[in-house]
Amino acid sequence: MTASLVKQTAWRSSARQFLTPDLRMTLLLLLPSLILMFVVIGYPMIQGFWYSFTNGSLLKAGKFVGLRNYGKLLTDPSFWHALRFSLYFAVANIVGCYSLGLGLALLLQKDFPGRGLFRVLLLLPWIVPSLVAIVSWRWMINDDKALFNQIIVFFGGDPVYFLSSSNWTIAMVIVIKIWRSFPFMLLSLLAALQTIDRTLYEAADIDGATKWQSFRHVTMPAISGISVVLCLLMTVWTVNDFDTPWLLAQGGPANATENLVVLAYRYTFARNDVGMGAAVSFVTLAILMVIFTVVLRLQREKR
Amino acid sequence: MARRRMHKNWALTGTMTLIAMVINLPIILMVLNSFQPTEAIVARLTIIRRDPSLQNYRFLMEETPFLSYLRNSVVTALGATVFSLFCAVFAGYALSRFKNRLLDVYSTGLFAVQMFPIILALIPLFLLFRPLGLIDTPLSVIIVYGVINLPFVTWMARSYFDTIPRELEEAALIDGCGHFGAFFRVVLPLSGPGLAAVSIFAFLLAYNEFFVANVFLRTKAAMTLPVGIQMFLQQFSTDWGSLTAAASVTMLPTLILFLFVQKFITHGAIAGGVKG
Repeated sequence: MTASLVKQTAWRSSARQFLTPDLRMTLLLLLPSLILMFVVIGYPMIQGFWYSFTNGSLLKAGKFVGLRNYGKLLTDPSFWHALRFSLYFAVANIVGCYSLGLGLALLLQKDFPGRGLFRVLLLLPWIVPSLVAIVSWRWMINDDKALFNQIIVFFGGDPVYFLSSSNWTIAMVIVIKIWRSFPFMLLSLLAALQTIDRTLYEAADIDGATKWQSFRHVTMPAISGISVVLCLLMTVWTVNDFDTPWLLAQGGPANATENLVVLAYRYTFARNDVGMGAAVSFVTLAILMVIFTVVLRLQREKR
Repeated sequence: MARRRMHKNWALTGTMTLIAMVINLPIILMVLNSFQPTEAIVARLTIIRRDPSLQNYRFLMEETPFLSYLRNSVVTALGATVFSLFCAVFAGYALSRFKNRLLDVYSTGLFAVQMFPIILALIPLFLLFRPLGLIDTPLSVIIVYGVINLPFVTWMARSYFDTIPRELEEAALIDGCGHFGAFFRVVLPLSGPGLAAVSIFAFLLAYNEFFVANVFLRTKAAMTLPVGIQMFLQQFSTDWGSLTAAASVTMLPTLILFLFVQKFITHGAIAGGVKG
């Protein structure tokens, strides 16, 4: 009795030592966010992990089936297609929106009349709702008389059926995604460019460096750190993108523009196979984590 | 010399005008089309016609559930704003004022949330919400948006609290205020304008969102604008008049709100990065 009481008080006082007033206050302030994060992310993640080992449907809970879902995935050609497409999609989008964003950031960094206005105007594709973006683009590529085709025909080409050929639909999903995401790159790179010390350029100038040389040896080293982070963020957001491929073509034609997220959605909500949907989502998370760790480690080694 | 430089800069303005026009062409054409009957849009004779009409907009308001979608959108976006702001204000204050291991872990967690494939949470949440009767109610979406917005809103709130000098709270503490008293009476009133900008961003993110709403809001009466118009897109994909009008009206609140807060955006984007 007394022993347990002593133990209890000892525990209390050590807890009090551990929970300094600052820490207690922090915990209190973080409590609403922590609860929310647990309910919406933490708990569903554990639950989802369990689902990926069962054969349940949206209507009834399934039974434990071990690794069968993951095994089925490995032999499912639509999974390999989705995986490949997700990676192509991410790489193409990064290359596209990084070069467009950097190019425009270099222009916007110069001093010219109306610069503030253009900074706002160039952000519009990023802030309009995804649905609006797709409606506006679809009209331009919709059929053989659409704007893009009128231009192609004007220059003597044959009309292209952008939304019924697999390769063209893939190309359009990428183009639209670049259009929707380059402003984020532009904005972040512009901010990074503005932190570079002007005198470095003057020094390079005095040393007789050409414009390209000062870009290569002053600008690029200064923004390489943030560039890696931005590309990493963009990889994650592109792999997680559902809106662009789904709204443009619902993952079609056939399943050409089906990425991992669209595939997980299809498995769960169209084919009513919760186990497979959860398995695909987990594979997505695992791939993102691998990319993340590898890139961050490479960057640390470079330093 | 000075004159020549001025000259050059105007040339850059001209180039940028052209670039901005080309980049925003899809949006510009969409708005122009929305004032034309579908037959004229499909015929594609000229881009700007002489007889603009509001016919599509009238059709939208009278014959489609557009206004009900708009109401749902506003309700969910407002709910999500209040919800995420409530959580983010406290967390942002903690991040701004304290420094300890718990906060380091929390920051990492926040970054992880920002990158999290939300599909992973949606499947279990769908199964969790259905027996609770939350599917097809705004609450289901509001809860999820609360978390999606959390990283960005927290980082932005934190950066505003950072600009408020600690001495003010210390003075309040000496005068006998508690920690919370100092926060509510001194810090919060001073961060009004900053928090207003943060709220507008939270509203925008929720208002624009499609994926989560598409999973949870499945009946016409519950749909928000993006989900509702997506139905148009699948069903009447040839009715370009109503489609472009619907998309244009949907875009309007986004544009107006964005103009109010655009000067804060660099800060927020760098602080955490907005989803997109």
